[in-house]
Amino acid sequence: MDRRSFIKLTAITGSTAALTACGNPEHQLIRFVPDEDIVPGQAVWKPGVCPLCSAGCGLTVRVMDADADVVVDGQAGVKRIAAAKKLEGLPDHPVNRGALCPRGQAAIQVTYHPDRITQPLKRTGNRGTGQYEAISWDDAVVELVGRLDMLAGAGNQRMLAMLTRRTSGHRGALLEQFAARFGAPAPVVYELFGDEVLRRANAMSYGRAQLPTFDLANSRYVLNFGSDLLGTWNSPVAHSRAYGEMRQGRPGVRGTFVQVETRMSQTGANADEWVAIRPGTEGALALGIAQVIGGKHPDYTPDAVQKLTGVDARRVERLARGFEATRPAVAIVGGAPLAHTNGLFTALAVNTLNSLVGSVGQPGGVFFTPQLNRAAASNAGGGFTLQDIGNAHVLLVDGANPVFTAPAAWRVRESLEKVPYIVSVGSFLDETSALADLILPDHSFLETWSESLPESGSLAAVAGVAPAVMRPLHRTRATGDVLLDVGRRLATPVNLPWQTFDEMLAATFTGLPSAAPDVDTWSDAQTKGMWTGTLPAGLASGASPQTPAAAGAAAFAAPQFDGDPGQYPFHFLPYPSSKFLDGSLAHLPWLQEMPDPLTSGMWSSWVEINPATMQKLGIAEGDVVEVASAHGTVRSAAVVNPGIAPDTVAMPVGQGHTSFTRFASGRGENPVTLLAPVTEATTGALAWAATRVRVSRAGPADGRLVMFAGGLREHVEHER
Amino acid sequence: MPRWGMAADLDRCTGCGGCVVACHAENNISTVGDDQASRGRAKHWIRVERYYEGEFPDVRVKFRPVMCQQCDNAPCEPVCPTYASHHTDDGLNAQVYNRCIGTRYCANACPYNVRFFDFFNPSWEKPLHLQLNPDVSLREVGVMEKCTFCVQRIKSAQIGAKAGQREVRDGEIQPACVQGCPSKALVFGDLEDPESEVSRLSRSPRGTKLLEDLGTKPKVAYLARVSQT
Repeated sequence: MDRRSFIKLTAITGSTAALTACGNPEHQLIRFVPDEDIVPGQAVWKPGVCPLCSAGCGLTVRVMDADADVVVDGQAGVKRIAAAKKLEGLPDHPVNRGALCPRGQAAIQVTYHPDRITQPLKRTGNRGTGQYEAISWDDAVVELVGRLDMLAGAGNQRMLAMLTRRTSGHRGALLEQFAARFGAPAPVVYELFGDEVLRRANAMSYGRAQLPTFDLANSRYVLNFGSDLLGTWNSPVAHSRAYGEMRQGRPGVRGTFVQVETRMSQTGANADEWVAIRPGTEGALALGIAQVIGGKHPDYTPDAVQKLTGVDARRVERLARGFEATRPAVAIVGGAPLAHTNGLFTALAVNTLNSLVGSVGQPGGVFFTPQLNRAAASNAGGGFTLQDIGNAHVLLVDGANPVFTAPAAWRVRESLEKVPYIVSVGSFLDETSALADLILPDHSFLETWSESLPESGSLAAVAGVAPAVMRPLHRTRATGDVLLDVGRRLATPVNLPWQTFDEMLAATFTGLPSAAPDVDTWSDAQTKGMWTGTLPAGLASGASPQTPAAAGAAAFAAPQFDGDPGQYPFHFLPYPSSKFLDGSLAHLPWLQEMPDPLTSGMWSSWVEINPATMQKLGIAEGDVVEVASAHGTVRSAAVVNPGIAPDTVAMPVGQGHTSFTRFASGRGENPVTLLAPVTEATTGALAWAATRVRVSRAGPADGRLVMFAGGLREHVEHER
Repeated sequence: MPRWGMAADLDRCTGCGGCVVACHAENNISTVGDDQASRGRAKHWIRVERYYEGEFPDVRVKFRPVMCQQCDNAPCEPVCPTYASHHTDDGLNAQVYNRCIGTRYCANACPYNVRFFDFFNPSWEKPLHLQLNPDVSLREVGVMEKCTFCVQRIKSAQIGAKAGQREVRDGEIQPACVQGCPSKALVFGDLEDPESEVSRLSRSPRGTKLLEDLGTKPKVAYLARVSQT
């Protein structure tokens, strides 16, 4: 008897024994020889990069042994693997300095999700029915190469479209380069809660089309117009870190924090002074403050501003005096105020405040993280937009889910259904991937190279990079490598300068200046999980920020709302959920069960309504209410929110998935379906805060609302 | 012998909830799903309480992270018939899971609502189980569970210090909630050491203890949020 049959026999005897002993079929008796040396019980920490948003926080990952279920040669068993156990912030990373937001803490569940796509899939049923068959990687790559060759053969290279989320790093650059060499237009980038309006405003004000970085730790007065900077906006961990320092990090100095908004966000809940304002009039208030300080905006006297914004004239003066007198002061804008038809005006008006108090590039003020210069790809002109992407012949989807996050009125689903061939590299069957004809699942961020080039959140330039933390759990492949492979196999090859994705990374990191003469930046960055330092002039992109002219560029234009105020009396505010952002994280069970910071809601959707409005409409907390716009209707549970204007209702975005794993599918409602296709006038960005709705009670509580707190309005304990 | 304590600076806390998820990840706390959660069976060893004051537009909010207060005079301990809930030498309110018979007296006695009962066996749909922390035992049905101040991290740091023939340094031990906190609102350390950061913060004039009047002698100090207006 040889060793192999001995082991097999032991297994059979073992399973029989287990079956007869406890009636519990136990098939995990075979232990395969592990592929790697790992000391049981001993933790190793490896660097990583958080993939969940574009902030690009650094990670350190605790790796230990674990028993994974595997099938080897048709034989099921377990194998000891090195498995990621816990994500923590990378201590020296300039963006997050050891900390993580709740979403970053939960990112590990992306890797271990039970509904991950484990191998290439080819559609067999009708689109959207989720019927797929498993195919091999060889067949999958051959199929994609065939499709692209057909395009090229017919001279239709321009009909290849790519659809991505906004990412900060090399992945987007690779897609862009591939498209350019193939002869296709640049990828379409779509984010529901994008910041295009602010980037445009910053380009006009400072010559930098970039999200700003704030030196909050050294600020003494922070005037924030509507951005959820401590929760979901821009670089929340970097902001929170600096916010703690601003409050209690300096002996004897405590910074003042003022928030202006329509619905009290998690960030607004931390303000010393919370200023309620009419939606879309934040820019007028900013210029009113500028008028009190500098006198150059005579149309915006405190009285005129009171009429426009609803903010008391004396308060406008008081805010202006505080902002002027308490230096360093910084003004911030982001989120809902810019999601109106006049968003660009609002952003420019707030930028005016920063130049007025000289906070640009000064301690405690506004900075722009130096950006690595990347060779621009020369893509074919006349690119696609989300609205006309239906004309593409082949579509490659990387991470974006516009079927869920774009207003129903844009009819993205219908347009995607017209595309003859869709390829997705997603790890989950979400609403957009479910339309794909071919799915080439990517590795998870822990199983391959992870990287980021943060746009903001650090005063110094920073680039994150880390090799795989663990071996792939499934038959997935790194998308960067697949794309490079496909390019080489085309009839007219797309030859990029790199064989693999990590060669592309190496090319960047090797060129970065090293801290010491004998240090190789590429291997040093991999060990540390990042590179940070000063970019030499040749490597930095963009001019140094200019201080803008003090005058605002445009006059106040009243925000336009979709829906007749008589028929639709309420403003509707869909806001990025602290748990799911735009819904892309609704599949993670820890985040589903985490209580919402303000309502304590778990596993559900809700509509936030002012208590006076609820009383007027005869709605009690938990009641099912109908919210209707001219474009759609949702029914959800009502939640009392004392921090929302009586003429506004709000819903967190993220739930209401029809297809997004067992944890998110069929749960709650998607407020994006109500949105009107209204855009910001100059930039064309979706004005997601510009829809009006009507609200009515539809029925009693039906148990769909789950809260962690017993009652919403607990009494405050006595505080000394 | 150290006496472990924590300080929560409410002037730094932003209510983000990072501590809540960090605790789930570290301590193998199972999620229970919507149906069980609606029956009040969700387990969050640490939670962020939110208090509204005033009416629109003059509304204010206060956040307060609440975990086991590790009371020196803990109401949960004397009521336990099996000594599952007991006091350790270094001042922790420990819970021995395999002594617990699930009377739930301790949860009834606890004024802070920080003890959670396992109404059923936990389950992790594979391969979610690969994430489980081998340093923390799983709790089965009928057992009470609660915040341990990440006792596994305390022990690990102590063993490391002993091996290096030195004392545990202040700040060396960071429970998962403290480690991940973006605004550094939470500080952990030895209250016996007057020089430790947690001792210093606990002596702050802003400091209070939660429901101190009950005589529970909690070891978590809350530093009040500063009011400017």
